[in-house]
Amino acid sequence: MVTKEDIIKLAKLGKLYLTEEELDSAVKDMTNIIGFANEISKVDTGDTEFDNINGLENALREDIVEESFDEDLILKNVDGGKDGFFYIKKYQN
Amino acid sequence: MKYELVSGLETHVELSTKTKIFCSCRTDFGGEPNTHCCPICIGLPGTLPKLNKEVVRYAIMAGLATNCEINLISKMDRKNYVYPDLPKAYQISQYDLPLCKNGYIQLDSGKKIRIARIHIEEDAGKLVHKGGDVYVDYNRGGVPLIEIVTQPDIRSSEEAREYVEKLQLIMRYIGVSDCKMQEGSMRCDVNISVRPEGSEEFGTRTEIKNMNSLTFMTKAMEYEKNRQIELIENGGKVEQETLRYIESSGTTESMRGKEDAHDYRYFREPDLVTIHTLSEEVENIRKSLPELPTARIKKYIEKFGISEKDAESIVKYKNISDFFEKAIQGIENPKIVSNFIIGQIFSTLNNEQEKESFDIKVSAESLNELCKLVESKKINVGLAKSTLLKMLETGKNVSNFISQEDMQSISEEKLLEICKKAVDSNPNAVKDYLSGKEKALKVLIGFVMKETKGKVDALNTQKNILDTIKNI
Ligand SMILES: [Zn+2]
Repeated sequence: MVTKEDIIKLAKLGKLYLTEEELDSAVKDMTNIIGFANEISKVDTGDTEFDNINGLENALREDIVEESFDEDLILKNVDGGKDGFFYIKKYQN
Repeated sequence: MKYELVSGLETHVELSTKTKIFCSCRTDFGGEPNTHCCPICIGLPGTLPKLNKEVVRYAIMAGLATNCEINLISKMDRKNYVYPDLPKAYQISQYDLPLCKNGYIQLDSGKKIRIARIHIEEDAGKLVHKGGDVYVDYNRGGVPLIEIVTQPDIRSSEEAREYVEKLQLIMRYIGVSDCKMQEGSMRCDVNISVRPEGSEEFGTRTEIKNMNSLTFMTKAMEYEKNRQIELIENGGKVEQETLRYIESSGTTESMRGKEDAHDYRYFREPDLVTIHTLSEEVENIRKSLPELPTARIKKYIEKFGISEKDAESIVKYKNISDFFEKAIQGIENPKIVSNFIIGQIFSTLNNEQEKESFDIKVSAESLNELCKLVESKKINVGLAKSTLLKMLETGKNVSNFISQEDMQSISEEKLLEICKKAVDSNPNAVKDYLSGKEKALKVLIGFVMKETKGKVDALNTQKNILDTIKNI
């Protein structure tokens, strides 16, 4: 059961600012999402032991440098950034 | 009432691997902003992290060097929080199965500061604040860190300083980090509480974040300890909060209180598989560990007969200790070498920083050559000292200053002859000496030293001069 308090807490942790209406619809949405994900727990897995990475181990990488991406590409999704940086404008109320 | 400080440290150490923890971008300090970045380390959706093998090995080395047990089964977890320095809105860290646990570092007093755990994680990006706006550089984002967490065993700011210095030195000796606090490759969070002396219970603690200098760390601890004591004495209560130290005023200020405490909602990182280390691998790493600072100090004192003070001042700097180890090759009495390092070489190094970088013009081989001449009595210590100073100034080798002729030892007969010459040529000094001015003898010895280019023993010379004067 997802409560309004849960959503308020999650929104705060995620630094999201929701209106009253948005809060109500988020409770509904989140209940649906969790209900959907919970379907998987109905599966009868018998005696098989599971972890969430299927018992895989040690996929390790050698410590060898590869060229990084061009700065232009890195900043492409933020409209080029500002002076080579990702840029966050001061929050205005 | 008397109060006791109770403190524990969380130390972040940047590992000096070539690449980041989950991608192949370089880890070099500095560089133009956002030029050591790729889709993985700027957290683009759909990318997959790949764990750097060397990070695991370095962390195990750090654990073994601090007497930790190694968790053969380990894993990564997500630590969720929203802040611009973390592009994914979570940091990949370790929660309940850190690579190392239950270690300790021993202080000079014999007291052990217990280490609860050492885990691996990714560093965050760097934020630059300008007029309320925030500029983000992700070059540092994804650089591998180990976090070393102690038990609350520290009882004074001096103990905290000694612990950090020891930790720093160990990490440098095993080569996993340069631990430069001023460059941010080593940073400490300090937990502090106070309690009445003799009490077993812990007081409410505060945490001072991100100390990047030992001087400021000890100052901050003293300030915070006194602030808490004063608060309690005046009937107040210590609030559990996170603090920042203000260097300019020497005070602490609140960053966030308990009600704003992060709820990290840790869960297993599903993009990374289990880290399974074999005990043979751990043993191999243990065998490959270089000699640690405490072992070196012990060796210098017990095997080489070097004083504790001198041994410590050499071992304190890895560069100098490594230089010493090279310079004593084939030397019977390594004390000759340590005396030159602490005497002549240290006299040319003006501060801690110069000792740390140890950028001198004399190679270990060259000092070794000089010391062998002393040990085989081809030249005396006085001549060796002045020669070493010339070598340090010019970067030239022994052979540039000492000729074959200089190295031939002077016979007793020859020495007596020169002493007679000294007495004959300095009648005034002899007169002065005979009238009770002991210092006048120095003039005569100096004369002999000059004549022999310092190749003779000063005490022996003095004896010969006195005999000569007696026989006048
Ligand atoms: Zn990258």
